[in-house]
Amino acid sequence: MFERRLYFHVDWLLVAAVLLLAGIGLAMIYSTTYVRLPDGSGRPGREFFTQMYAMGIGGIALVVCLMIDYRKLAEHSLLVYGGLIAALLVVLVAGDSAGGAQRWINVGRFKFQPSEFGRITLALILAMYFGENRRGARTTGDLMIAGMFAIVPFLLIAKQPDLGTAATLIPVAFGIAYLAGLRLRLIGIALGIAILLAPIAWNFALKDYQKSRIVIFLDPEQDPRGAGYQPIQARVTVGSGGLKGKGFMQGTQGQYKFLPVAHNDFIFSVLAEEHGFLGVLAALGLYLFVILRALEAARMAKDRIGAYLVGGLICGFAFQVIYNITMSAGLAPVKGLTLPLMSYGGSSMIATLAAFGLILNVRMRRFTN
Amino acid sequence: MPDDRRSLTMRLSVVQYVVAVLFSLLAIAFWVFQIASHEKFLQMAENNHMRRLPLPAPRGVLFDRNGTVLVENQNNFNIALVREQTKDLDRTLHILATATGVDEAQLRDTVNRKRREPSYRPIVLIENASPEQLAAFLARQWELPGIIQQSVPARRYPPTALAAHLFGYVGEVTEAQLSRPEYQGVESGAVVGQAGVEQAYNRYLMGADGDKFVVVNSLGREIRLHRQELPKEGRRVQLTIDADMQKAAEDGFRHFGYNGAAVVMDPRSGEVLTLVSLPAYDPNKFALGIDRATWTALNTDQLKPLQNRALQGRYSPGSTFKIVIAAAALEEGVVTPDYTVFCPGGATFFGRFFQCHEKGGHGSVDMRHAIEKSCNVYFYTLGNMLGIDRIHKWASALGLADKTGIDIPNEIQSIMPSTEWKRARTGEKWYAGETISVSIGQGQVTTTPLSLATMMMTVANGGTRFTPHVLKAVDEGAGWKAIPAPPPQSTVKMKDSTIKALHDGLWMVINAAGTGGRGRIAGRDVSGKTGTAQVISLTGAKVAKGKIDVRDHGWFVFFAPRDNPELAGVVFAEHSEHGYLAAPIAKHVIETYYAKEGKPLPVLQKAPVPASVVAGNAPATPPSQR
Repeated sequence: MFERRLYFHVDWLLVAAVLLLAGIGLAMIYSTTYVRLPDGSGRPGREFFTQMYAMGIGGIALVVCLMIDYRKLAEHSLLVYGGLIAALLVVLVAGDSAGGAQRWINVGRFKFQPSEFGRITLALILAMYFGENRRGARTTGDLMIAGMFAIVPFLLIAKQPDLGTAATLIPVAFGIAYLAGLRLRLIGIALGIAILLAPIAWNFALKDYQKSRIVIFLDPEQDPRGAGYQPIQARVTVGSGGLKGKGFMQGTQGQYKFLPVAHNDFIFSVLAEEHGFLGVLAALGLYLFVILRALEAARMAKDRIGAYLVGGLICGFAFQVIYNITMSAGLAPVKGLTLPLMSYGGSSMIATLAAFGLILNVRMRRFTN
Repeated sequence: MPDDRRSLTMRLSVVQYVVAVLFSLLAIAFWVFQIASHEKFLQMAENNHMRRLPLPAPRGVLFDRNGTVLVENQNNFNIALVREQTKDLDRTLHILATATGVDEAQLRDTVNRKRREPSYRPIVLIENASPEQLAAFLARQWELPGIIQQSVPARRYPPTALAAHLFGYVGEVTEAQLSRPEYQGVESGAVVGQAGVEQAYNRYLMGADGDKFVVVNSLGREIRLHRQELPKEGRRVQLTIDADMQKAAEDGFRHFGYNGAAVVMDPRSGEVLTLVSLPAYDPNKFALGIDRATWTALNTDQLKPLQNRALQGRYSPGSTFKIVIAAAALEEGVVTPDYTVFCPGGATFFGRFFQCHEKGGHGSVDMRHAIEKSCNVYFYTLGNMLGIDRIHKWASALGLADKTGIDIPNEIQSIMPSTEWKRARTGEKWYAGETISVSIGQGQVTTTPLSLATMMMTVANGGTRFTPHVLKAVDEGAGWKAIPAPPPQSTVKMKDSTIKALHDGLWMVINAAGTGGRGRIAGRDVSGKTGTAQVISLTGAKVAKGKIDVRDHGWFVFFAPRDNPELAGVVFAEHSEHGYLAAPIAKHVIETYYAKEGKPLPVLQKAPVPASVVAGNAPATPPSQR
């Protein structure tokens, strides 16, 4: 089914940028999880190898997502969606828990996190729904239905609880709705409702640790040893890097564990510490390139399904990147939100590469019928 | 659907711009943190992972004038526990307690008190372990995983508390000291000299502490050594003290059973060869931080072991003060050495009868014999002729009115009355009758042993009041560098006839029919004077009897040899009742000095044979042993 001529339309620049970012991430994971033994020797940490395997599997996922025509996938999106909901229900009932959250399904030796695939699934089904719909996202009824598609997985993921991952569904849904012609007035109304609901959410929906994260974010010095520790240490990590950084594996904040979960949520802080402002600019440039290049693919897309699909995926991606980097500089409340392509996390890496498979897919098939 | 297409393109552009703007804001934010505020955050990161561990510098070694080591440093040992290395804590503590003889419950208590500390941090179980405890631990070390020994540098003073008051002691710097300029650069918690030479020359003796910077992780565990600056040992300091003479003096006091003070100086320079105050304390007890019980005991002891009697005790000079009267009378031209007074055993001044100690009277005595026999009547007469202010003038020139200026802290001043002194103190005028008692060193005049030694030195060298000092040389790292002696406090050019008369009289005290026969050394021409200091008035003695020791103190001031003296000093024997009983101590010190010329050091005989006391006021009683 893969026609040879399509090979020439693969966006190799985007592939290169994506792989480069994943490679930088892998190097940072190597640096932060390197195990130093008391006799002075050392070895790479377990996380480094896990991430490498995940990249391999992600590469396969990317190729698979690239080869199947995205329209075919979109046609079967309801099935995919059903599969996701089923998986999320399994997690809720029989999932594996760690750190007070139940997020994983054990598949043999591997732990699989279905919520990471929520964005792709949601993007597919919404792109399909709005792309096939001649009216676009104009009527309230359409929006209600689209909203339902988004809210079900959102609630299931938030219940795990994993508010961070659940929140990444919102930009996907809004991105597609916006591209499909959602009137700005409606966005305004939605924002208004959100603001009105905020106090209610504060009192009833948010857990104490979530509340304290927000309060502490606003004033980290209030509790520098407790909840304010992470934002402060994140700033120290980033700021101490300076222009050129302390050098690969020479950071102190990440290496000596002053910054928690350095290989995961705060991987960008470690990059900033060890490679300085120049490293930050390089990584920011690569991410910006990837996002703008993907948006270009959306513009070139042959049909609205393709444009919406790419748009939704990239809005989710961009939101996650911007939020995580802001957080890694200690400028946003700490949430369990990883940096796509760089943070440690198998499911996240596979899902992200699969999403880029879809983006490449749309661009590649812009001339086909 | 061109309309749709245009709308989509437009909306995609909006997304593009929003993303681009947000990325620019992020770049600015990182610029602010990484470039603009870099220094601040770098400092915070350093503070996170760098720990400074001070490496205490050993203090400088103290030497005596002949190069003998007086005070040095040693390592004390603590036995400590590192919990993370133990397997069975109870068993370990049990074995350690059995081996070292320490109460097991006490060890357990120590561990429990520190259980919240990280388990890799050593807990000191036995501070300053004895060699026996250390040996016992080392023998069973293989059974005691997690038990380690730590070495702690500490000052080591000579055994038997030799020259304790001279050396002083060390202790943690106080808040008050930290605010003073001479302690600039000293950090809180540092150990500095708190008394004696340790305090006076702390600037030389205190080394520069080193630093060890270690990298720690977020749990506080040391990961590696970052850099270290080794401590610089304090300067080596040479004192003017002669260790053999110092020991001889202290041996003398112990041998004859007295407490008291002694100072021996070189009258040609003011160098202090011996400085004794007894009873003493053990400065080693302060070396590792003194415990409260010992400190309280030292402070409440009636014998005041912490007081440096040589420069902080003030006592009536008694007959030794007659030297001042004699010098004043001769120098003021009130009398000549041949001036004769008839002593009938007492004399009346201003309507009151003043006794001579010789009931039958000395008969006709001139200056030399008056000194030899210590005739009270002669000196009552001279004192009356001089008046208190001329006495004060000469007491001052000889060093009894001011501090001597010795380079050891907390010297107190002798009290030498004058009309002005009395007016300032009581607002009353001085009565000439009061001068009579002062003339024989009683009444209001009181002196420190050190100032009396200074007086003797000044008389010995003919009028130069050198500043007593104990610092001889300092090694700043490039070999010994002699420290110039401080300038004399004052100089008077005494007449040769005065010096001759005084020296003759003082020589006769010891070598003729005087009271100091026990200080006589053949061929050394020891010259001197005894004196007795009343502890309490005769009437007061009755009241206080049994409560405090009311026996009089004995003085012996001396120089030797008579011509071109090389030694001058004082021995103050507390409650010895008679000055002549202090003389043998001085004799032993002087003999030790002369033994330097190739002979073995003198040894004190087990049962001292009292030197024949010839006539004078001295009853031939054996020394009182307390």
